[in-house]
Amino acid sequence: MAAPLPSIPRALSSPHSILPSPVLLRPQSLPLHRRQTPGSAVSAAFQWNRKPQLAGETPRVVVVTSGKGGVGKTTTTANIGISLARFGFYVVAVDADAGLRNLDLLLGLENRVNYTAVEVLNGDCRLDQALVRDRRYPSLELLCISKPRSKLPLGFGAKALTWVVDALRSRPSSAPQFVLIDCPAGIDAGFITAIAPANEAVLVTTPDITALRDADRVTGLLECDGIRDIKMIVNRVRTDLIRGEDMMSVLDVQEMLGLALLGVIPEDSEVIKSTNRGYPLVLNKPPTVAGLAFEQAAWRLVEQDTMTAVMVEEEPKKKGFFSFFGG
Amino acid sequence: MAISGDLKAFGTFASYHPKHPLRPALSSSKVQLGRFLNRGSNDLRITPKWPHMEPPSSGTAQNDHRCFGIGGSKLSSATISQDAEGFLLNAINMNFFDRLSLAWRILFPTRTARRKSNARIAKQRLKMILFSDRCAVSDEARQKIVRNIIESLSEFVEIESQDKVQLNVSTDPDLGMVYSVTVPVRRVKPEYQDSEEDYRGKITGITYKDTGETSETVDVTFDFFIPNEN
Repeated sequence: MAAPLPSIPRALSSPHSILPSPVLLRPQSLPLHRRQTPGSAVSAAFQWNRKPQLAGETPRVVVVTSGKGGVGKTTTTANIGISLARFGFYVVAVDADAGLRNLDLLLGLENRVNYTAVEVLNGDCRLDQALVRDRRYPSLELLCISKPRSKLPLGFGAKALTWVVDALRSRPSSAPQFVLIDCPAGIDAGFITAIAPANEAVLVTTPDITALRDADRVTGLLECDGIRDIKMIVNRVRTDLIRGEDMMSVLDVQEMLGLALLGVIPEDSEVIKSTNRGYPLVLNKPPTVAGLAFEQAAWRLVEQDTMTAVMVEEEPKKKGFFSFFGG
Repeated sequence: MAISGDLKAFGTFASYHPKHPLRPALSSSKVQLGRFLNRGSNDLRITPKWPHMEPPSSGTAQNDHRCFGIGGSKLSSATISQDAEGFLLNAINMNFFDRLSLAWRILFPTRTARRKSNARIAKQRLKMILFSDRCAVSDEARQKIVRNIIESLSEFVEIESQDKVQLNVSTDPDLGMVYSVTVPVRRVKPEYQDSEEDYRGKITGITYKDTGETSETVDVTFDFFIPNEN
């Protein structure tokens, strides 16, 4: 775990999450051996290498799905995966889209994918040869299902993916604590394959009516499959449109879908830039708004916490020239 | 509908209160008036508000704008001129800038776009579509529902014709999805009809004969109902 976490996420964390330690609030209660010069007492009060407490049984197999395409599943998987690796957890990110592969592009690892899960199943290579380790954060590994140039990858079904996840789980060294499965768009065979090994789901949606309808359908399918723990991330939120009542607010979305909220990611042009560079958004220094939101969402995912949406304040009425007329 | 037109206008004017934030007061009063006017005269709603008519004619600056949300047919022209007087009295009491802004607002009414904002439309549509998606039932299920209902009801009633039984799925803004099954019934099966046995032993008539003060007896005859054995 190389870089120290900035202290900004603490201050911005949701009102729902409880500050775990009183050290942050009362510097004078520091233990003696930590006493430093009075000038740095406040900075010592912020613990720089805080880690979230892992909740739930390991490994946590989480599928990131959405139904509708293009809402930000792969971006979410990549950024949350990197955030988790930065916190120090062992993460395996699986790109469960057998035909069209994108997670490697977002992580910047597309040149290093030599073997895929199909070859592991065929016996051409070992499992750890198919796992691509990230150079910056070695606790993150990527697994792709198949090479895009091969013909229709028949035969990679739910059982195969479940086998792969079990093989990962039973690795003697460094069994992963998190397995993030990036689900393909749609609700057909690829979706059914991806959700088969999962215990929890993160539903990514945007506040527009098409995505919400599909998200609702996917929620029904997930619950049918037995995945009860579904949390929602609302992506591409534009607070200016919400204030102008042109876009549904996050409160409306929560009311309509009835799912617990894991995070709200504002629309940020940095997403496109970071995709183009192959450098995940959360690693940007200085951190961007969307990056911070992803990191908070990852924190909540680890601690199995949720957030509550708040109402966007109405902007104060602009005082125009004729304001003394009350207009 | 000249009267209703004027009432709308008066509602707008009279809702102006120099101290209140103007825009929300305007839109809410318009909406209230519109609702009342559409319902015609609804006596139960009008009468409690009727006593509030007094304050405007007294000419105080504290107007309760809600008192003007009253249906059209009940008000007479006398009351309307009372409102106009009250309004004029208030207008005279305002200072120059208040009157100027009132005039501005009358001449250039602001768009009340809040009700019809895109977000609200989207939310409404989404609600309807989610209801219909969640509760959409297949054809096979529909037939089974109809058959089960016919079977259960046939125990109690004689159904007119099995083909005429219909299942309707509709959405109601308050209840959400509503499933209604329409069953034409010929008559109730005899064993479930109100039977005459319930009336066995009930008294059907009393005759009372007073035989006078001399004898100290009274003759009373009770008639009981015995269902005749068919």
